[in-house]
Amino acid sequence: MKLKDEESTAPQARTEGLIVREAEGEVLVYDPERHRAICLNQTAALVWRGCDGRTTVAGLARLLHDELDAPLAESAVWLALDRLGREHLLRERVRRPPGRAAISRRDLVRRIGVAAALPLITSILAPTAKAAASCLQSGMACTSPVECCSQLCPGAPNGACA
Amino acid sequence: MIKTVAVPPQSTARLVASALAGAWRPSPPAFGGSANDLDAVAPLLLGSGAGALGWWKIRHTELRDAPAAQELRQAYRLHTLQSALHERRIEQVFKLLGESGVDAVLVKGLAASRLYPEAGLRPFGDIDVCVRPEQFAVAAAVLSGPRGQEFSVDLHRGFEDAAGRGDDELFARAEVLRVGGVDVPVLCPEDHLRLLCVHLLRHGAWRPLWLCDVAAAVEHRPEGFDWSRLLRGDGRRARWVTCAVGLAHELLGARIQDTPFERESRRLPRWLVPEVMKSWETPYTHLQTPMRHRAPMTHYLRRPRGVLKDLANRWPNPIEATIRLGGPFNELPRLPFQVGNVLVRTARFVSGLSAGARGERRS
Repeated sequence: MKLKDEESTAPQARTEGLIVREAEGEVLVYDPERHRAICLNQTAALVWRGCDGRTTVAGLARLLHDELDAPLAESAVWLALDRLGREHLLRERVRRPPGRAAISRRDLVRRIGVAAALPLITSILAPTAKAAASCLQSGMACTSPVECCSQLCPGAPNGACA
Repeated sequence: MIKTVAVPPQSTARLVASALAGAWRPSPPAFGGSANDLDAVAPLLLGSGAGALGWWKIRHTELRDAPAAQELRQAYRLHTLQSALHERRIEQVFKLLGESGVDAVLVKGLAASRLYPEAGLRPFGDIDVCVRPEQFAVAAAVLSGPRGQEFSVDLHRGFEDAAGRGDDELFARAEVLRVGGVDVPVLCPEDHLRLLCVHLLRHGAWRPLWLCDVAAAVEHRPEGFDWSRLLRGDGRRARWVTCAVGLAHELLGARIQDTPFERESRRLPRWLVPEVMKSWETPYTHLQTPMRHRAPMTHYLRRPRGVLKDLANRWPNPIEATIRLGGPFNELPRLPFQVGNVLVRTARFVSGLSAGARGERRS
């Protein structure tokens, strides 16, 4: 992925091919290409949705300030952009301008003291087993084709699902 | 008369019931358990596909910040995304079947999840599709073809679980659900509730989520719901339905006060609730029939080691055995149905072996 060099360059969100849902104030994103499920908290979602290719980092910081009524600096926007870039949610990753070192979430919390308002982007990991399936997957012992998801049970009634 | 059932009040199964009571409602009643109870019940909810519903129940309580609650919340997030993904798949499957001229009806899964406040609360693993028996071969060919095999479809020949309804009648009364850009037929509310009830019992009611489906279908039924259609026909099968609804009331607190069969639903056979509770102690797919079978029986003809243990794994659940033999839900002991079910399966096994042997001789 290319990196944008100019500080004035406005980041642009990548949305094609993604499945996006809102739930309880969060934005949930599934990237079928990378099989990644990601959760953006309200602040991170605001940054991501604000990345329209025209709004600069300073503009995004103003947006956050207006929407959240919280004293969030540009560093918070950079934190979100770093993570969004790593998760391939931007068309191009954005490089920090010289002199603006990366800052961790922990450092930001220390500086600002409002952890809940900071951008948070997390992976969604949970049991993904066929949670509600009632048919057998390939290779499982079967006694009739109706038991298999494939409807194929070679060797029934003592077979294995195809 | 309301019978009391012998279930330990603090069993994990009872906790599962408590964690899911009313969970299908937009504003469910609060979970009355402690943080320790939540720790105990969370793995069971997650492992049986009810994690999102568990989160729905506690999201506005002080338990929401507990570590176990965060796992339930992750399940809720994941299921929310999965349901969106499934909708896309359902759209593609029905487009594919439609192109081949197959009449298909979607059951359970999305058809059930639309009864919940949010689609992500009710996950579904495979896509259950019922087709007319005469179109089954075409449908199976389409779904095993290059475009179809990427989808996990549980294809059914007709509507076995609708118990006693003709396929033509069910197709004729089906309603249409718009999924993406495709019209997807689903059963009318009466037929779907009947199917949910029979499906629940045919699998021994081991998955709590299926009982939530029944409860949601009863409580979220549309105006003008035709009760007589739900119960019409063979009285034995109608009793299965009233028992399933009664279970939803007894274990999950489903509101049945305004149903015409409230009294009958409250009169459950004494053995029914304890059997369900037993299953709910370990509501995991891999521990259920036939997934818990270690190997096909033919394997043991050559290598008998372990056969006794695996025979024990094949001993049927009394609920499932009763349904599979078309038996009544009454106070009589279930052992005859379990034995009968074993005999039927043994006969099928032996006849399969003889057919195989004849085939080998011919070739």
